[in-house]
Amino acid sequence: MKKYDTPLIDELEKGPWPSFVTEMKRAAKNNEMANDALGHLEKCYKTRVGYWKHGGIVGVLGYGGGVIGRYSELGDEFPGVAHFHTVRINQPSGFFYTSAALREICDIWDKYGSGLTNVHGSTGDLVLLGTKTEALEAVFAEYSSRGWDLGGSGSALRTPSCCVGPGRCEWTNYDTLDLSYALTQEFQDEIHRPTFAYKFKIKMSGCACDCVASIARADMSIIGTWKGNIEVNQDEVKNYAKKGMDINAEIVNMCPTQCISYDGKELKINNAECSRCMHCITRMTKALRPTGERGATICIGSKAPIVVGSLLSWVIVPFIKVEPPYTELKDLIRKIWEWWDDNAKPRERIGEVIEMKGMRSFLEAIGQSPIPQQIKEPRKDPFMFYTEGDIAAFKAKEAEEKKTGKFKF
Amino acid sequence: MALPQRKTDIGPPHYKQFLPPVIQKNYGKWKYHEVIDPGLMVHVAESGDKLWTVRVASPRILATDTIREHCDIAEKYCGGFFRYTTRNNVEFLVSDEKQVEPLKKDLAKRGFKMGGIGAGISNVVHTQGWVHCHSACTDASGLVKAMMDELMPYFESKRLPSKVRLAVACCVNMCGAVHCSDIAVVAVHTKVPVIKHEDFKNMCELPTVIGSCPTRAISPDPANKSVKINAEKCMYCGNCFTVCPPISIKDPDRDGIAIVVGGKVSSLRTSPKFSKLVIPYISNEPPRWPKAVAAIKHIVEVYAKHARKHERIGEWIDRIGWERFFSLTGIDFTFQCIDDFTFMRDTMRTSATFKW
Amino acid sequence: MEMTELQNKIFAFCEAAKGKKKLKEKDIINGVNAESGVDKDEVKKALREMINVGRLMYSYGGGASSVEIPSEEYLREKGLIK
Ligand code: HEM
Ligand code: HEM
Ligand code: HEM
Ligand code: HEM
Ligand code: HEM
Ligand code: SF4
Ligand code: SF4
Ligand code: SF4
Ligand code: SF4
Repeated sequence: MKKYDTPLIDELEKGPWPSFVTEMKRAAKNNEMANDALGHLEKCYKTRVGYWKHGGIVGVLGYGGGVIGRYSELGDEFPGVAHFHTVRINQPSGFFYTSAALREICDIWDKYGSGLTNVHGSTGDLVLLGTKTEALEAVFAEYSSRGWDLGGSGSALRTPSCCVGPGRCEWTNYDTLDLSYALTQEFQDEIHRPTFAYKFKIKMSGCACDCVASIARADMSIIGTWKGNIEVNQDEVKNYAKKGMDINAEIVNMCPTQCISYDGKELKINNAECSRCMHCITRMTKALRPTGERGATICIGSKAPIVVGSLLSWVIVPFIKVEPPYTELKDLIRKIWEWWDDNAKPRERIGEVIEMKGMRSFLEAIGQSPIPQQIKEPRKDPFMFYTEGDIAAFKAKEAEEKKTGKFKF
Repeated sequence: MALPQRKTDIGPPHYKQFLPPVIQKNYGKWKYHEVIDPGLMVHVAESGDKLWTVRVASPRILATDTIREHCDIAEKYCGGFFRYTTRNNVEFLVSDEKQVEPLKKDLAKRGFKMGGIGAGISNVVHTQGWVHCHSACTDASGLVKAMMDELMPYFESKRLPSKVRLAVACCVNMCGAVHCSDIAVVAVHTKVPVIKHEDFKNMCELPTVIGSCPTRAISPDPANKSVKINAEKCMYCGNCFTVCPPISIKDPDRDGIAIVVGGKVSSLRTSPKFSKLVIPYISNEPPRWPKAVAAIKHIVEVYAKHARKHERIGEWIDRIGWERFFSLTGIDFTFQCIDDFTFMRDTMRTSATFKW
Repeated sequence: MEMTELQNKIFAFCEAAKGKKKLKEKDIINGVNAESGVDKDEVKKALREMINVGRLMYSYGGGASSVEIPSEEYLREKGLIK
């Protein structure tokens, strides 16, 4: 095996934080592809430019995604990375594994690929970095016959992902692990066969802490919430105070809705005014817990800056029950896709299409009424559309008022 | 040797088989958790059962042999059960308290770094960079390594007013939630792309290329059977390069990095926020990016000194005002910090009340 | 319409667009439906069968996925021709 001199990236083996260069060298010990990837990277550090070409068309027969083609411009100099395709393996919900399962994944990858991985990619998939075109069918046969499928890429539903939820978190409002699994299974066709205008991402968090950053990087963000009261255990409140928590400064004054009071003995919450932001609960987890009806808020539209600026997801459905078999949610997703499909130009994310076509068109298509929970504030300009139907409805309401003699605004 | 029969559309394995018995038993019935130290927390179930989690750092790029090492450790102390986190840490799931200390000792001996839980700095969300992406202006993994070497105390032990979430994106595509981080590095191009006209007609679709430009800087160039770019309109986003390889935007002497701050994703106390630009340009300086690393450390330290307990960076700045942020950090305020793209009307000040 | 005939129509539709327009799966389904009146679900089914055996393939370029006629190189790699 050719030995590369790598003085620049060797600098990144120094220092306390675990080094990806050390990882690459570890893989390179018995893998020619990983070895060439090292030399290739050193060259990037030297010249300060990258040498990966734009994508390329590779994949497994019948699927339109799950493999991302990658070729180097320097294939002659570094033959091991001439082809260096990425394989996305659909992760199990919550990134839980057994050692046996991961050993199996590693053994197959060593046989066909570079021995390098990303655990995990930001989409959620377990990413295998670097294999050759001719190995792809074999890689797929090996993994799929053992129960592992590919994730999504291209203009498709991307691999759904979720927070750890009921697996290990007292704050979750629905079973994120199960919903992620159920949606992944329900929409296998949409994941593997790209038929959309562009990508669509679904991420699921069990509460407003949003540990998978769904509000910022999912076309559909499903964020757990509740409708009942926050139950207070006053003994535990006392314990927190005793251990030195300044409850007025840290809890009462930081509540965004100013709905908590504390007189030095008892903590009271005016639940009707609580916006369920999770601050108090995360600070005093032993003392406070939500009760009553559980479900989720559905937000739509977030994306990164390309092309005209980032979006955060917008509240569309303030509350939906999230219980197996999730029929209502699945129907909603299908309606959203249908409207998107009818209105999107190529490479338009759903948030962009809603901006172009208007929120009203979208809400009507998916059967949602306008309600104030969807907005931060009403419109500021007077340039608005009225349909014949709208005016007829306003007039009908006024006719009714004339009859009853009472105004209804 | 014959290949096994492939299967399609089977999806991932069911997660239940990967949950340790203590989780299977107490699934959805957790009562509370306590952070014992930045590398260790315990979750207590309604039943009284306990689950200890030991969290260690990972560079995200892992060799299969390192994953096998995680497996060895999990088999020795956790019945083979472990998980990874959204921010790419490794978590060993221990159900027998007696195994916690031996596990920690073993991890320390092997050189794994424990930490990342609670009000400090956890692992850095980042993109592929030169390791694996065509679009990269810099290397994400290298920047992360250089930053975290310097910020290590905040991972392992030192505490901050609240969590500080870091991210690195190696181009403005910003794969990952970079645009909503407390502090993030975004690599930027700074020069108008150069077009290889002779390759254009074979490799690119004219309408796609024209349509790709957010500022409408691109127009047809019939003489060359290609396109031309209006230099006054282009702000170097690279989207045209993504859809058309003969348009080249890389330039090693001009590509650089920008620093954005004050974003958050959670809804705790205040709504999620985008990160905002504070430092528009630092030269791309592999392998250790000394100026970028120093800038990030400086911002963390100023925040640590001035913020109230539980305030995220963005919340602290909202309270004190951006003019105060710039005066406290001593960062030069530049034209780039004034939005002249889609958000100007929302970001200019519209009252005569501000601090000196 | 016979499956073979429908598939030939689909293939002809893709061939006509080759080098001119990147076809999304939906463009083909809608286009063939408009030309021949065959139910969209049936066109989709026929199309999928063609993709499964490599007569057509999913492709990716310019930031989006499309369907096209495979190159000889692709067919050779998949072991569908020598
Ligand atoms: C030799 C020719 C080409 C090369 C080397 C190339 C390279 C690339 C690269 C590197 C990417 C980036 C993938 C990514 O990170 O998303 C890419 C994506 C893409 N390319 Fe090309 N490309 C070529 C030709 C084309 C052509 C001719 C088109 C369209 C007419 C095209 C359309 C696309 C599209 C749509 C994407 C997906 C980008 C996205 O996901 O947003 N490519 N290509
Ligand atoms: C034109 C825009 C974009 C292009 C061309 C692009 C291209 C890519 C490519 C090629 C990958 C594959 C990485 C790999 O697994 O090897 C990727 C991953 C990813 N992208 Fe994008 N992307 C774009 C926009 C976005 C946006 C807007 C977001 C989020 C809001 C995003 C989030 C992600 C995430 C989370 C991953 C997984 C990365 C990882 O493996 O860590 N991307 N992207
Ligand atoms: C159909 C659209 C509109 C019409 C017909 C209209 C008409 C008028 C008229 C006639 C005045 C003069 C009032 C007066 O001095 O007695 C006025 C003033 C004004 N309009 Fe409008 N306007 C329209 C839309 C808007 C919009 C969209 C805005 C701002 C968002 C706006 C902002 C103002 C302001 C600030 C004044 C000055 C008020 C003042 O004297 O303090 N107008 N408009
Ligand atoms: C979209 C349509 C219109 C807009 C946005 C608009 C806006 C305005 C504004 C901003 C003013 C200045 C008010 C001020 O000086 O404080 C104004 C004044 C005026 N507009 Fe309009 N206007 C519109 C249509 C019209 C139309 C259709 C007419 C007449 C047929 C009209 C007649 C006037 C008159 C007479 C004034 C002067 C009022 C005064 O001296 O106080 N406007 N308009
Ligand atoms: C850690 C490294 C990488 C990161 C973080 C990354 C990230 C991303 C992201 C965010 C996208 C977005 C695609 C999309 O959602 O439209 C993307 C697409 C893509 N990336 Fe990467 N990428 C990485 C490495 C690579 C490498 C090494 C290659 C090739 C050798 C590659 C090839 C592609 C291609 C072809 C696409 C378009 C495919 C698609 O749409 O999914 N990426 N990447
Ligand atoms: S998002 Fe909420 S429920 Fe999910 S892991 Fe985070 S804190 Fe727990
Ligand atoms: S959840 Fe948030 S809004 Fe509700 S009481 Fe607690 S701090 Fe206040
Ligand atoms: S941020 Fe840009 S350069 Fe970095 S991985 Fe994503 S697309 Fe590639
Ligand atoms: S780099 Fe961006 S702004 Fe400049 S021409 Fe290309 S698409 Fe337009």
